[in-house]
Amino acid sequence: MEVVELGGKQIEIDEDGFIQDPDAWDEAVAADLAKTEGVDDLSDDHWKLVNYLREYYLEYNMAPMIRKLCKQTGFSLKEVYDLFPSGPAKGACKVAGLPKPTGCV
Amino acid sequence: MDLITVTREEGLRFSVRLRDHVMTTDMSVAEGGNGDGPSPVEYLGVASGACLATMVQAYCDARGYTDGDVSVSLTMEFVENPNRVSSFILDVELPRDVPEGDREKLKKMALRMPVPATLRDGPTVDIEMY
Repeated sequence: MEVVELGGKQIEIDEDGFIQDPDAWDEAVAADLAKTEGVDDLSDDHWKLVNYLREYYLEYNMAPMIRKLCKQTGFSLKEVYDLFPSGPAKGACKVAGLPKPTGCV
Repeated sequence: MDLITVTREEGLRFSVRLRDHVMTTDMSVAEGGNGDGPSPVEYLGVASGACLATMVQAYCDARGYTDGDVSVSLTMEFVENPNRVSSFILDVELPRDVPEGDREKLKKMALRMPVPATLRDGPTVDIEMY
């Protein structure tokens, strides 16, 4: 584990850059996590995905299935990858401050 | 079918040969390879998307739907213990002149196409070690 500065705070991340404490997440942390994914500015569409993931995780303590994410946000798979080139698991979930999804290859 | 051979090149990079075609597979750097090609499991996604695109395009061509081409975007979800694919998620873009009724028919047909049907029904895997 490594401790890095995100959003002006010292935060522990795993080897893939996922924060370890979901409570440490805030919008400034998300903005810095997005930069690690090559996303310099989070648009309204980025926030729509991030907020959906965040709310789903806080309610169910797990990330949604990808098809559910697409249907609920109205984005196609390609649009999700256009927003987060690493994909919904490695990119969007990371920016939303979720733990690394299990089985993620 | 013709024989597929998989031979090591270097590290975890392998050469895959089928007739006169040569493909490369490698693991990502994070998984101990050099990322010189799709990983073996990613080829499952490749096969699934290519199968769907091919069969749906053939259907559209046969019915004269020519306002655009078929394209497929797909990804996979994974689970652990053992590591495996749990879901294939595919978005298929159809020619614009495909009527709504055919879209529903195509969705049903897609599940009966060779790769999706094989994945769904779980074929026998028979391995000998020499």
